Amino acid sequence: MRPEDEAPPEGRPHAAPPELEDLLRWVARGDRDAFEQVYALVAGPVFGMVLRVVRDRAQSEEVTQEALVEVWRAAARYDPERGSAMAWVMTIAHRRAIDRVRSAQAGADRETRVARMDVHRPFDEVAESVAARLEQERLRRCLGGLTDLQRESVTFAYYGGYSYREVSELLKVPLATVKTRMRDGLIRLRDCLGVER
Amino acid sequence: MHALAGAYALHAIDDDGELRLFEEHLSGCAECAQEVRGLAETATRLGLAAAVEPPPALRDRIMAEIGQVRQLPPLVAPSPSIRESRSSAERRSPLAGWLRWRPRLAAALTATAVAAAVLLGVVAVRTQAGLDELRATDREVTAVLAAPDVRSATAPSGAAGGTVVVSRSQGKMVFVASGLASLPDSRTYQLWQIGPEGARSAGLLRPDGTGHISPVVSATVDGATTVGVTVEPAGGSEQPTTQPLLLLDLPQA
Repeated sequence: MRPEDEAPPEGRPHAAPPELEDLLRWVARGDRDAFEQVYALVAGPVFGMVLRVVRDRAQSEEVTQEALVEVWRAAARYDPERGSAMAWVMTIAHRRAIDRVRSAQAGADRETRVARMDVHRPFDEVAESVAARLEQERLRRCLGGLTDLQRESVTFAYYGGYSYREVSELLKVPLATVKTRMRDGLIRLRDCLGVER
Repeated sequence: MHALAGAYALHAIDDDGELRLFEEHLSGCAECAQEVRGLAETATRLGLAAAVEPPPALRDRIMAEIGQVRQLPPLVAPSPSIRESRSSAERRSPLAGWLRWRPRLAAALTATAVAAAVLLGVVAVRTQAGLDELRATDREVTAVLAAPDVRSATAPSGAAGGTVVVSRSQGKMVFVASGLASLPDSRTYQLWQIGPEGARSAGLLRPDGTGHISPVVSATVDGATTVGVTVEPAGGSEQPTTQPLLLLDLPQA
């Protein structure tokens, strides 16, 4: 809720939906309405990604809650110079998801995660929105352009929450190779997806 | 070093020391930072493709929780006088390194209610144990928890975790921790309050056999922004002499 005596922040468009970057600036000033709009934009991606990593639905809800509360708390620390607002939000959430699986990680648990993870089908095909489905289609095509080792290194790390050491152990590949494949795999993916640099 | 850019963007570096080294490297290498930005945006796309609609109740829970969470102020360059005193504090203290890493480490604040419940649990266990001599401390703990302006922060840090609850109106903070390994008799855990003026001891911590410590109450030091735990020689030190095991942002009023 914005105080009555304050004009709406400059540049707030009336028709076009505001960008996440702008919304975060308003959130940083304590604007709960802006936070609701942030929620609408990021909750699906955050929850879906966390669910991929954590797997357990109840825990994924908890992690999503922690991450979004952190977005509220730290909105003033978002620096557009350092990346997109979506990347900032997803980074917070991905780190939280990884913290959750690493702290819960016992040997048996990890094996279950490996068993459930299919690197050839790196995301569940349950996307509800058209945008997510298009994104999946493009990503699937681009992931198909990586070598097996690049794709496995990237997806075990991102969706599986594995450290590069764990990926190295799992795939029986030297550490240096895994590091390199994560980097060149992501670079190839970046170029295929046309991610702005 | 540069080869770690991919692992870094995927959050696949699980060694804190290695992570710090890489981040230090990034801060001095514009080209690397640029590459990491692009790779982090790419990793984000992996996340976007996995989008799933969360249950509607989650939104309500989050909107309710943010009403109780104080927002962080923007990062600003310290004023010259503070910078001066901080750099002198850094010269005499190994805490210097962490002060720079506070933004990353600050990512841990849970709802006050949760932390208070944890603390009350500890208090309750102790009361059941009938430790009469500790009742005075319990009363102090309760007074802080019951204060209208109570705030808390929690951080897991590897195996060790800690929670600080602070009431500015009471001028006191309560600290509890778990996962502290037992130390030889020649060593002790020491709690610090850290601000631009440096570190000040907030007492020694004595974990029980299960790694927990009883709540420690101490007066808040003006300007303190962080609390930390280090391992020190038995009896404690004037200033921290080792790298901290645990670091928490001290919630401000």
